Amino acid sequence: MPDMENKDVMSEETTEKSKSAYSLLGKKDVKCSWLIWLFNNQANYNYERMMGIGFLHSMVPVARKLYKDDVDKQREMLQRHTGFFNCEPCVGSAVAGLTVAMEEQKAAGEEIDGEAITSVKTGLMGPLSGIGDSVIQGVIVPLLLAFAIDMASKGSFVVPIIFSLVMVAVVFGISYPLFMLGYKQGSNAILNILENGIINKIIAGANIMGCMVLGALVANYVSMNCGISIPQGEGDPFSIQAQLFDVIVPSLLPLLLTLGSYKLMKKGWSSIKVLILIVVIGIIGGLTGILA
Amino acid sequence: MNVFQAILLGILYYLGNSSIIAGPVGYYTVYRPLVGGFLAGVVLGDPVTGTMVGATINLMYIGFISAGGALPGDMCLAGILGAALSISGGMDTEAALALAVPIGLIGTLLWFGRLTLDSIFAHMADKMVEEGKSDKIWIPSVLLPQLMLFIMTAVPCFLAAYFGTTAIQGAIDALGGTVLGILIIIGGMMPALGIGLTLLYIFKGDARVFFFLGFLITVYSGLSMIAVGFLSLCAAIVYTQLKNAKGGEANA
Repeated sequence: MPDMENKDVMSEETTEKSKSAYSLLGKKDVKCSWLIWLFNNQANYNYERMMGIGFLHSMVPVARKLYKDDVDKQREMLQRHTGFFNCEPCVGSAVAGLTVAMEEQKAAGEEIDGEAITSVKTGLMGPLSGIGDSVIQGVIVPLLLAFAIDMASKGSFVVPIIFSLVMVAVVFGISYPLFMLGYKQGSNAILNILENGIINKIIAGANIMGCMVLGALVANYVSMNCGISIPQGEGDPFSIQAQLFDVIVPSLLPLLLTLGSYKLMKKGWSSIKVLILIVVIGIIGGLTGILA
Repeated sequence: MNVFQAILLGILYYLGNSSIIAGPVGYYTVYRPLVGGFLAGVVLGDPVTGTMVGATINLMYIGFISAGGALPGDMCLAGILGAALSISGGMDTEAALALAVPIGLIGTLLWFGRLTLDSIFAHMADKMVEEGKSDKIWIPSVLLPQLMLFIMTAVPCFLAAYFGTTAIQGAIDALGGTVLGILIIIGGMMPALGIGLTLLYIFKGDARVFFFLGFLITVYSGLSMIAVGFLSLCAAIVYTQLKNAKGGEANA
């Protein structure tokens, strides 16, 4: 959730948006801004400002239309958008749409502080990323991928085609309506989404689905086997994997590995560091025969 | 593999990373080894093998999620080159999977390079805004970074595809079975990282127990992913209904 300060700013500034949609901008300008955002949000992706330049770019048609004859005001508006921006791009299009609306109101003479626009923008990117990342990357994509990989591993190449079409539909189906929602309904609509009971229920449900599917993914697709077997006199050697782990909980090691990776990243380890650790474990385990 | 096919593979790798197919669309399609492997297969005339190898490599990256600009492992390069080496080098799926591990690690370097160097163009954009040249912002926003990206991605992928098959085949023969075995062990552990990353976003509150439920159901029953998917939908619905019913009583 955005903090209280941002919320106050937003509710003061943009309550009447829905009445004045398209007063200065045509539908074409708004669509143009959306298309630039959709295509180019990561065209220039950099550590310094992440999607900031993509965001700036999506504001260019808006600035050029709002301040057609005033280069100074155009500059003032665009300078506001040269900063840092990073958001899950599909859900984040709501922020771009909302910013277009606020800039339009400002140009129409409403008293909107430039800083208010920036603070709305930066206040929303965190919570919206949270929703976008957990629902799209956390649930929809792994679920569809798991289905698709199951079907495609025998070589039916219709599957990747269908998967791609579904993903195109998902991206467009989220990006465009949310951009327009942000533009037409203003920040209150987005705040309502963040606080709305139904949306929160959907997210809670999605998290449950996601967790359950991830658990199944661990069981199906992570593999880690102990190669140690203890010789026991005359009988067959006692295999720790086959006669201990597989009897109690098959896939115990994959489960521990996954939870361990999660815990380390939660503690602040970067994913690259965990990756290196996995490579090291793999090399040591492979050389010594502890892992097989 | 002829030069033309290798060039196409280079372009394919660029497309997976580029903004030419809308950014998020490309990231969810060509960037995935499932799709990239299939397309590499189309280029090399064997979409069936391409899809099979791509799907297997994609397993390693199944839960991978890019958040905050960090991406451990380049699944796109791993998918395209893995499929290409398997088709033109006659490698079996398991060896291709093993190779995809180091390829994906090397690809990560390109990602770091790109995000670092793109800052230069960001400053160029600042200057254009200052000078009031808003009509030219597309140059530092799209043209230059994408040109750079094209050179950074298409060229190495082309070279690796064109010259790599024999070189990598030779390297594998020289290194022998141990290295391959270790790579396969690492490849098997890799999905744990991606799943752990995704858990960071959704392993919260009441949902946590369902992770173990999904794990146990699959381990003991061997149900397919699709079956677990539908079960999880039912679990989510039942859970929210029960929770609401409780909330309703409390309010009444």
